[in-house]
Amino acid sequence: MSADSLAIERPQPGPSEPSPRRLKAAGRSLRALAADRRLAIPVAILVLVILFALLVPVFWGPSPTKQNLVDSLQAPSGAHPMGTDQLGRDVLARVAEGARISLLVASLVTLGGALIGGSIGLVAGLLGGATDGISMRVMDTILAFPPLILAMAVTVGLGVGLSTAALGVALVSVPWYARLLRSEAIRIRSLPFIEAAHALGSTRGRIIRRHVIPHVLPVLFIQMAAAFGYAVLALAGLSFIGLGAQVPTPEWGAMITEGLQYSLTGQWWIAIFPGVALLIVVTAASMVSDRMRDLLDPRGQYERL
Amino acid sequence: MTVTTDASSPDPALSVRNLSTVYEAKAATVHAVRDVSFDLRPMERLGIVGESGSGKSALALSILGLIEPPGRVAGGEIMLGGRDIAKLSDRELGSVRGKEIALVLQDPATALDPVKTIGRQIIEAIAAHEPGLKRSAARRRAAELLGDVEISHAEQRLDEYPHQFSGGMRQRVVIAMAIALNPSVLIADEPTTALDVTTQAQVLALLDRLVDEHRTAVILITHNLGIVSEFCDSVAVMYAGRLVETSGVDHIFESPTHPYSEALLACVPNPEKLAQGPLPAIAGYPPDLSSLPSGCAFAPRCPVGRDIPQCHQEAPQPHAVSGPAGPAVVECHFAEARIREASR
Amino acid sequence: MSRVVAYRLLGSLAAIFGASLLAFLIMRVLPGDPARIILGPLATPKALAEVNHQLGLDQPIFAQYWHYISDFFTGNWGYSYTLNASVSSLFVERFPATIELALFSFVLTMGAAVILALLSTYRHRPVTDAIVRGASYIGFGTPPFFLALLLLIIFFKSLHWLPGPEGRLQVGASEPPAVTHLFLIDSLLAGQLNTFWESLRHMLLPAIALGIGSFSFMVRLLRANLLEVSREPFITVARGKGLPRWTAFRRHALPNAFLPTLTSAGLVLGEFLAGSVLIERVFDWPGIGSLVFEAIVKQDFAIVQAFILLSAVIFVLVNLMVDLLYAVIDPRVRIPAVTSA
Repeated sequence: MSADSLAIERPQPGPSEPSPRRLKAAGRSLRALAADRRLAIPVAILVLVILFALLVPVFWGPSPTKQNLVDSLQAPSGAHPMGTDQLGRDVLARVAEGARISLLVASLVTLGGALIGGSIGLVAGLLGGATDGISMRVMDTILAFPPLILAMAVTVGLGVGLSTAALGVALVSVPWYARLLRSEAIRIRSLPFIEAAHALGSTRGRIIRRHVIPHVLPVLFIQMAAAFGYAVLALAGLSFIGLGAQVPTPEWGAMITEGLQYSLTGQWWIAIFPGVALLIVVTAASMVSDRMRDLLDPRGQYERL
Repeated sequence: MTVTTDASSPDPALSVRNLSTVYEAKAATVHAVRDVSFDLRPMERLGIVGESGSGKSALALSILGLIEPPGRVAGGEIMLGGRDIAKLSDRELGSVRGKEIALVLQDPATALDPVKTIGRQIIEAIAAHEPGLKRSAARRRAAELLGDVEISHAEQRLDEYPHQFSGGMRQRVVIAMAIALNPSVLIADEPTTALDVTTQAQVLALLDRLVDEHRTAVILITHNLGIVSEFCDSVAVMYAGRLVETSGVDHIFESPTHPYSEALLACVPNPEKLAQGPLPAIAGYPPDLSSLPSGCAFAPRCPVGRDIPQCHQEAPQPHAVSGPAGPAVVECHFAEARIREASR
Repeated sequence: MSRVVAYRLLGSLAAIFGASLLAFLIMRVLPGDPARIILGPLATPKALAEVNHQLGLDQPIFAQYWHYISDFFTGNWGYSYTLNASVSSLFVERFPATIELALFSFVLTMGAAVILALLSTYRHRPVTDAIVRGASYIGFGTPPFFLALLLLIIFFKSLHWLPGPEGRLQVGASEPPAVTHLFLIDSLLAGQLNTFWESLRHMLLPAIALGIGSFSFMVRLLRANLLEVSREPFITVARGKGLPRWTAFRRHALPNAFLPTLTSAGLVLGEFLAGSVLIERVFDWPGIGSLVFEAIVKQDFAIVQAFILLSAVIFVLVNLMVDLLYAVIDPRVRIPAVTSA
């Protein structure tokens, strides 16, 4: 027995709370999130990266795409803090532009996947029956592919490029949300206060808006934070093998591909800086997701997938 | 029937002196067991009762040396068979655990490893202390033990897994493992709590017969006073890590002296009194074991001492008293006064 | 038990059918000219028409799907116009390099994950635990291809400890006599210790890069499982029998913590399949991954399409095997509970 379980054994006051108080509890847990230091640090890192992406292109002179062969392959210096690449382009400007691309596209992928997957899950869970059966079989089909390989298939089938890569990664994430929200919807549907609201004549739409959506938001956020990190990583991976953003786009994965051969001849900065940026964003996103899970769901009922 | 407090009783099977256990977390230190002393005579059956979180289970694990970090036994003696086992290393304790003191845990669903056969788990208990034992001999012993705890087709059932047994059957298996080596002391932590009432009675009857046959002394940890009255000779009431009242069972049920004991008893449903109204509950919550009040830990909830300054300022010492149904040791400033009142 | 097996087999067949249908939809039916995808942008109209006919694209859609699926299961995976060889023969040729790297990486990274998870959970070691958790986070966030690059810069370019991107052996070195086609084993069989050593040195960096994702995932999963299991009452009971701490942990905590991680075998396999495409090119490793990468660069999509469907089929089959394995080794799945009291 640990100190924790000693504390937990103590009787907790009050019976299970009705819906309005639960919503207040949800507000409390959001405030708990705001006060948590182990969550604040990775969030602060992500905010810094966003500021970097927004501000550097405004205040930093050199263009991310303008070639200047005279200045090619320069090591980091005052004029070029991250050096220049083989075509003389400023790596700092390119990394910042890459941050804009990665953050924007990964956000769109995350939102799109969450909206589509979440809707499928909610509808399947609330309606049940054939709708549920068919949509879950479709999700199983998507899950039959190793994730990155399905995204590869989409880009190959629909034409190589950043937008099809984004579509592919979003498709990969759809079943994660669908399964999660389906099980949530099924759980919530059977809660006494939902049945009571139904009996009192609330319409289905109203029940979903007022009761179901607020309940599923926390788990949805946890999943979205994890999926965001995955999207950044997968998009860079696809670009790295030439299926996503195409060279000369300053996308981090594409930049690493470009810098690959120079890394072993001594010009490490071309590939290292975008790689470090990638590492920071993905690590921070997964830390946010994990910490949110710890705080909102201490018992760990909502394992990913 | 003799009583634990009888100083003249010869050579206790187990003697605990000033045992303290703490859990040290970053924010606070939880004092789970505070300076606890008691004796257990051979073949005695001592019930330890108290609310959840009063430190009963921590006391059991402390005696066995099974407190895991961040917890630790902070001090005290545990005399067993003429030596202080609190001083032994974990390795040395290995030869004591299971052989001289055995453990039965509360939840039979989780007390057995789900992926090992029952037979292997019983044999393991024997083999831990008899390394040279042949497999066939160990298996025969294990089958006998299963028969002993009244499980039929013992030989076949050795090869089954815990999930193939019902809850009551599993608890029998756990008991079989505990008595495998004839320990002189058995610590049973809520052995029947997870079982339904009928099974509870069967398991208790079994335990009753076995400890008689094996001449084992028992510490039965429970929050069920009914079980105590049926099974135990003596009882210790635990509150906030301390034994606040220790006596024979008759005393507790006839004239509970500590106000907490009295309150605990009042919570037991009594068919005759049920008609008179709802069950009383003890007001308030057990104290936070990481920041205890300086006086009596029960004072804030105590119907007697709630408003008495002495109770809040001064920790009560053990008072040996003699009630109408036998002697008791009570940690209350008003122990003598309350005995006098009860005798009247 | 046999009903469970039959049910799972049916489920897997359905998943393979669904996956092939989805791959067919994405790559053949949706907009995009399959013949052009296969032949690339420079193909002549005549070649396009010929491929269209070969693919049966002038036939009804059901017939097309039938061809697609039957071709796949008969090993007729198409023809690579850039390498002038059938895709299946190319895969067979490249398979050993990929499988050797994957197996080696699996043993290396899973072994490391088990050791680290044990170090951070067996007994109370807050500092070690914090380090292990931090490492697993960073490992999780490190793109494998970027790690590959870092490892090369550090251990090849700067320290000169390990060989650079030159494939399975030094340039010009002769391969060991082929028995299993796995160099580590073949070199030992032939007694060529030097070849064994070189092969090991060449495999180390790509194996680390390939396994980093699964490694980090497994460390976290094992750590969580071990922590949970070691709090179980049956561990206390086992210690109460007099078992030494490590014995109780080894006999009771380890099996119960490892059993559920089997489920992640599919996840790990997915990482390795996709990872091979990302990693092999960095090390010039002559496996299927670099074949697929080169095919992407040259727009030789017959190879890529075959790889995608093959991956899905392998993925489904491995997940099926995991389920069946549970039915064999987990008594709670193998033997139904008896409900009688």
